[in-house]
Amino acid sequence: MTVIVPVGPQHPALKEPENFRFEIRGEEVVDVDIRMGYVHRGIERAMQDRTYLHNVYLSERICGICNVVHTNTYCQAVEAIAGIEIPDRARYIRTILLELERIHSHLLWAGVAAHEIGFDTLFMYFWRDREHVLDIREAVSGGRQLSATNTVGGVRRDIKLEHIPRMLDVLKRLERETRRYLEICSSDPTILSRCEGVGVLTKQDALEVCAVGPTARAAGVDWDVRRDDPYAAYGDLDFRVVIERTGDVLAQILVRLGEVIQSIEIVRQAADRLPSGPIRVDPPTRIEPNEAVARSEAPRGELLYYVVSNGTDKPERVRVRTPTYGNVLTWKRMFKGCTVAEIPIVLASIDPCMACTDRVTLVDVERGRSRVVSLEELRRWKKW
Amino acid sequence: MKASEVIQLLEGLIEEVKTVGNRRVFATASKERFREVLQRLREKEVRHVSTISGVDRGSHISVVYHFDCRPCLLNLRVDLPKDNPEIRTITDLFPGAEIYERDLMEMLGVKVSEHPDPRRFFLPDDWPEGVYPLRKEVKQP
Repeated sequence: MTVIVPVGPQHPALKEPENFRFEIRGEEVVDVDIRMGYVHRGIERAMQDRTYLHNVYLSERICGICNVVHTNTYCQAVEAIAGIEIPDRARYIRTILLELERIHSHLLWAGVAAHEIGFDTLFMYFWRDREHVLDIREAVSGGRQLSATNTVGGVRRDIKLEHIPRMLDVLKRLERETRRYLEICSSDPTILSRCEGVGVLTKQDALEVCAVGPTARAAGVDWDVRRDDPYAAYGDLDFRVVIERTGDVLAQILVRLGEVIQSIEIVRQAADRLPSGPIRVDPPTRIEPNEAVARSEAPRGELLYYVVSNGTDKPERVRVRTPTYGNVLTWKRMFKGCTVAEIPIVLASIDPCMACTDRVTLVDVERGRSRVVSLEELRRWKKW
Repeated sequence: MKASEVIQLLEGLIEEVKTVGNRRVFATASKERFREVLQRLREKEVRHVSTISGVDRGSHISVVYHFDCRPCLLNLRVDLPKDNPEIRTITDLFPGAEIYERDLMEMLGVKVSEHPDPRRFFLPDDWPEGVYPLRKEVKQP
């Protein structure tokens, strides 16, 4: 006998709405059904009615946390269809901003993960250090979160020479702290007992459901777009792709913290080799019919933009595949065999970033059936 | 596989081949030969479908499958007539495509036959039948 437990649309872990219907036997999760679209904003369609330049700002608003990677991938795709080469300095500035974004995004996630397992002291430490990264982002790009730096043809704002020593100084402290967190996370009994062997995704499953990013790398899939399909300045820089084998929540923590250290290294190299010269070229307003696909390694994994042009100043179609969308199916594999108490941390483990509405699940206990009630039906009930 | 290896592997099955750099291949396949393409990719251990994009081209609907052949990305287009846009599911060979196909069904009205779970994913249950938001004939409010 199984019971359906609806979780959400008010999210149990992050402050975002999506709906999960867990099938539970006793304490064990047997299956899960996922519904999304609660905050589907129709951005892909909206992009078709706006100009290429206007869409840079729309793509920036797809995700509040990883906005630089969205504009970067969008601009890369448009630059590819228009046949523009961006200046070297712009490639390096994009790389620095992308890696600062990865650092603060991973620290944000690590904080949430610590909070999910009830380790709020660690949560505060992670978020304290994230603040420093946001400060240097503000200094170099003008915004703590949204930077509006990328544009079609390069970047809008140059990094000033005087900002670099401060940035490197913050990163030096951050590296020391991150190494300490890595040590804590791999040895603290509280963390180990809540994360080790929990929410396991095997390498086989990760490959089968097309998992991306740190979720796949924690399961042992050696794949990183930055190394394997390099963009911006990644082809010129040396860094290591962090891989773990066990695929559990602990492996995800270790991969992300390991990536913070690698990102610090990338920013150092990029700042050291920052070429001089112009930061942007003028893009054409109208683009001849063409198509292009651009990919980036967002903090949560592979981000893909497919842009089709039709000779006008507006795209024919922009397709956006965000990393969490690519990772939704991994949950189905991770949850099997988990306990109810482990739901929040496993949910949070892929670092979901999404959006979802009001919906009610009714469970008919006698017949053992359940169904979802629509908003219309709820409104009709109100009239009774 | 590199771009040249992908083109070699699929020789005779794909048309209008275009290579951009050495990591992007754009090509088309007919609905009939498409299945064979999938099987050849599977034999070469291609397992990652980055996504499936649907494009309303006015006269027809283009479905673009983005296969990650590590490091090359193969963008394979299959054109379907607008009056009966139907294609067989690829989830038997690429299970990761399940949600992308659900998206394609609800947003563009492409019928994906033999799909294991053809319910809506993003659209609400009370969304009207037969209205596909990414079709050109649907006007924005």
